[in-house]
Amino acid sequence: MSKDGSSMVYPTLLNHAAKWARKNSLWPMPYGTSCCGIELMSTLSSTYDLARFGAEVVRFSPRQCDMLIVAGTITTKMGPVLRTIYDQMLEPKWVIAMGACSSSGGIFDTYSVLQGIDEIMPVDVYVPGCPPIPEGLIHAILHLQKVIDQGLPRNTAEKPSYDEAINAMTYKKYVGPKSQYVVTESGVLPNR
Amino acid sequence: MVKEIQNKANEILQNTFASERKFSLDKVGEPILWANGPKDALHLIKKFQDHIDLKIDFLSDLTAYDNTDKKDGEGRFVVVIQLLSMQTFIRIRLKVLLKANEEMETLTNIWPAANWLEREVFDMYGIIFAGHPNLKRILMDERFHGHPLRKEYPYKQREPFSDNTKINLSNSTRGSSSHE
Repeated sequence: MSKDGSSMVYPTLLNHAAKWARKNSLWPMPYGTSCCGIELMSTLSSTYDLARFGAEVVRFSPRQCDMLIVAGTITTKMGPVLRTIYDQMLEPKWVIAMGACSSSGGIFDTYSVLQGIDEIMPVDVYVPGCPPIPEGLIHAILHLQKVIDQGLPRNTAEKPSYDEAINAMTYKKYVGPKSQYVVTESGVLPNR
Repeated sequence: MVKEIQNKANEILQNTFASERKFSLDKVGEPILWANGPKDALHLIKKFQDHIDLKIDFLSDLTAYDNTDKKDGEGRFVVVIQLLSMQTFIRIRLKVLLKANEEMETLTNIWPAANWLEREVFDMYGIIFAGHPNLKRILMDERFHGHPLRKEYPYKQREPFSDNTKINLSNSTRGSSSHE
């Protein structure tokens, strides 16, 4: 509707409208385990105000969110828990690895820590920093919006079979993860 | 005031318990008493509890360290028991030298708080606490085999389980992998 009451038509393709809606309503699922979680809270609160980008509705249920933000160190014991949350999220879904620990294990190169969450799930955006400043996370979300806008295909982990889903401890196959795209200054490019 | 009480307690320990045991003071003047084995440690704790001047009633901490360099004598592990009195504020550090496969006596019958502390020591060093009601891993994964704080354990060595090894990423359109 326009201001004078006359009807207004905006012709578009349905998938463009869906993309527009998706990129502007990225509901995050926070998974904060350490100091990155504090920066995540700071990003969500009024000073940085993630609501400006449509990503403020934090859902603590994996069924209702689009974007998993892993903020903090993930130990091998916590790995299956995180993976279960990822599996419970509905498509379409995206993952942000926030901070050095969730991206690469960080300083914790030890017997008990996952060396990056990409060992157990595909990751769309890595945010460097220990912890990253809120601007870093906002930058990542804006890049994720670009990725969604271009409709780039996303590496997805194979869905578990019924038996695998019953026993969440059985992700046996391994093919090295490789991101299908890279985000550069000039935009999002395919990863060759 | 607390310092004076502690000094007095050190003298009591020196006179009463140190005749056939090793005894020393650390840099801040707190006593270190070496028990002659696990049974003796339990016996000593009971003595401390009943002693009219010591009145030990609180388990401050229970931990261990690996004695691979044999600095503290012929033995593999040293269990360290930090004791405190909430009435007199006396602190006593009790140490027990254990051989490689020797079992330690549990303190859970005296202080239930020892339960988790002993589980942690078991998890990290593999020291068995005889009589413990629930001796299983507390920090590491239940399927983990090694004891990571032992000096021979390579500290970067992770044990691969099926759920923390790398996942299968596919470019196929199984399910709804494309967001078009």
